[in-house]
Amino acid sequence: MSKTVLYTCPYVPAEWIAAHGLRPCRVIPDSAGTVFSLAGREGVCPYVRGFLAEVTDGDRAGAVVMTTVCDQMRRAFDIVARRCELPAFLMNVPNTWQTPAAQQLYVDELRRLGRFLIRHGGKSPSNDALAAIMLEYDATRTALLEARERLSALRYAEEIAAFGHDGPDAVTGGYRGSLEPITRVPLAIVGGPLMKKEFRIFEIVAESGGRIVLDATESGERGMCAPLDTEALREEPLSELARIYFGGIVDASRRPDSQLYEWFEEKLTERAVQGIIFHRHVWCDLWHAELGRLKDLIDVPVLDIDTAGDFGSEENRTAGRIGAFLEMLQ
Amino acid sequence: MSDAPKRITLEQWDLQYEKLRAAGAPQPYYGGPLSRHLKDGDRRLLKLSYDNSAAALRLWNLLLTEEDRLHEARASGRKIVGTMKDLGTVPVMAYSLKNAVAFYPDGAWWIPCVMELGAGLLEIADSLGIDESFCPVRAMLGAFVTGAHFPLPDMLVCSVGATCDDFSAIAQRLEGLGPEILWWEMPHRREPEPDEIAVTLPGGFVAPKRQVEFVKSQLQGIKTALEELTGERLYAEKLSEGIRKANQVRRCLSELRHLAFTAQRCPIPALEMLIAEMLAIHFCSDRQETIAVLTELLDEVKARVQAEVGVLEVDAARIFWVNPVADLQVMNLLEDCGGRICGTEYLFSHALDEVPEDSPPLDALAQMALADPMVGSSIDRAQRICADISLFGAEAVVISRIGGASHCALEGQVIGEIVQDELDIPVIEIEVPPVTDSMRPTVRTRLEALVETVRARRRPVPK
Repeated sequence: MSKTVLYTCPYVPAEWIAAHGLRPCRVIPDSAGTVFSLAGREGVCPYVRGFLAEVTDGDRAGAVVMTTVCDQMRRAFDIVARRCELPAFLMNVPNTWQTPAAQQLYVDELRRLGRFLIRHGGKSPSNDALAAIMLEYDATRTALLEARERLSALRYAEEIAAFGHDGPDAVTGGYRGSLEPITRVPLAIVGGPLMKKEFRIFEIVAESGGRIVLDATESGERGMCAPLDTEALREEPLSELARIYFGGIVDASRRPDSQLYEWFEEKLTERAVQGIIFHRHVWCDLWHAELGRLKDLIDVPVLDIDTAGDFGSEENRTAGRIGAFLEMLQ
Repeated sequence: MSDAPKRITLEQWDLQYEKLRAAGAPQPYYGGPLSRHLKDGDRRLLKLSYDNSAAALRLWNLLLTEEDRLHEARASGRKIVGTMKDLGTVPVMAYSLKNAVAFYPDGAWWIPCVMELGAGLLEIADSLGIDESFCPVRAMLGAFVTGAHFPLPDMLVCSVGATCDDFSAIAQRLEGLGPEILWWEMPHRREPEPDEIAVTLPGGFVAPKRQVEFVKSQLQGIKTALEELTGERLYAEKLSEGIRKANQVRRCLSELRHLAFTAQRCPIPALEMLIAEMLAIHFCSDRQETIAVLTELLDEVKARVQAEVGVLEVDAARIFWVNPVADLQVMNLLEDCGGRICGTEYLFSHALDEVPEDSPPLDALAQMALADPMVGSSIDRAQRICADISLFGAEAVVISRIGGASHCALEGQVIGEIVQDELDIPVIEIEVPPVTDSMRPTVRTRLEALVETVRARRRPVPK
């Protein structure tokens, strides 16, 4: 059985790991979790805490790939490097995106990641092998995106998570149900990644008379890369991989972050969104700072939900706030 | 050397100033009694202790008149460059041009302290959604909105990538309010791979040549932008001369630090040393005067060391301090508790290390930028701290947390563990907000406990 390579950042292309003969596994922590050594430390992002708990727990993985997209995760790498036997790789993902130099840096980092994977049991992929895997992933992603309107928001989020965790085989497919007419208040959820227990928000929204029609969290649709250009794929698969990921995923970490708002404008209009649930983990500065910008730039009501990552104890408060928000919108 | 060295109050400084004036001591163009800055609302000055030398007076006056200098620069037609986050790199380029002056709007993070929250900058940041869960550098947003603390720059440059999320997020919020920002990428410094060419950076960190080349390409973009802004070409010779001048400052600081941290009696208080070190990052908007101020301070310290006099007791606990404090008064507090500073890492060691003069100038600056302790891992930073602790003979470490700062969430743990593993000395972590008054007893207790621990460790173990 091939070694599992853990990651969580959407800028890590699963196809690249799979093409090296390894099993990519996108970790979405259950909750903030407990890392003994971090007990009592203030200021640690709950998602980072949860990710560290998953990575440092047990020996189920062969390696872990982290990125520099957020500062806390960049520094969490130091904890992993010091405390874990697990081979760990820190991938430089530039925050700037408009220059060829930044794009080239991302490609160079993919090559460096490739060398790391080879050192830890992977094999160098041929262009054909990489292209075949990219096509398979792209087809699954396309099917998932097309199925959105046939699935509940929760199921849609779970399918995306399963795809990240286990690859194309995990996606059940056969989404043949009829298009569900949107009779509920259409909402978007915006923010960084959700932890698994936080998926309950989709149900709370449904129970309160709303429906998430745009999952713009990092663990949702916003974290999925752009569709493939098959012609470009034939010419140079690695460059195309960089384009669909580095050029295709919009995020709050980008400088400037203008792409994010262009994406919001397009998707919010397309899906007639009437309200935004802005979900953020405490101590996540990148998303926290976007709240003000979102309110300035997007003319849709926004509900700010901050969480310390312990959804169990926060559920009632969250449900109450979502209920009130929907009442206001109805 | 001035009078017997000691720490004095602001009131005492006014009397001391009159004494100096009566004795005919020369004053620079920005000179005058320190208490005049109170009318600007700098109320914290009333609660600080100061070194009593004329050199220290000149240092304080240089610091507290920066805004005036920036306005004068604007009036004289020079371009003002607001350079953010890189702490020491872009100003070397800007000051190589005749027609530019650079400063760090980041420095506004001390305004809430100096004005004891009287400027309302944090409230403005709050109103923009940047609340107290962010680093106090959020005061910068308020300073831009009010326009009351520095002239709005003609150009804003900000490094992103391997930087703190607070700053990146706040700078983005700022750009959203109108000012255009030239963003440049600073990659996370990493170890070279076996087949990569390695470059030893100023200060001793190592990076792949590929990363140096990348940063150089980013600096090239800034150079072009500066040339367009000022209408002046930044030829290699000019930049090399700018580097030589920056190195003059750095050499002076290096000698000052060595004397201040290793002398048997502490020759200069921690607060003045903190300010002196800060001058390295952008020369307080006057490079030539910075050199003069530091030279005078160095002469004073040399004289004190030679005379074996100082401002603290000989047995003061020798403390290494990590991260700058948001409340300047805490540097006084350490000394009140029986400690002295013997080594610092205020987030900008790279601005204190000499820039290589034997490399092409842009290469040299790229090397320096990559040597930023915050650009690499906390493990690297901890190793440098360990090396400096050994160099300066520190007996304990204070890691000063900056409330809300993304890097402080985890790095303190890594640094603390490595220092304890390698050097077996006590480490404490304290959080310092912009005004510590309400938590002063807690901070004091912790510092006193640390000092007591250091003294207890000095006593021979009974056989």
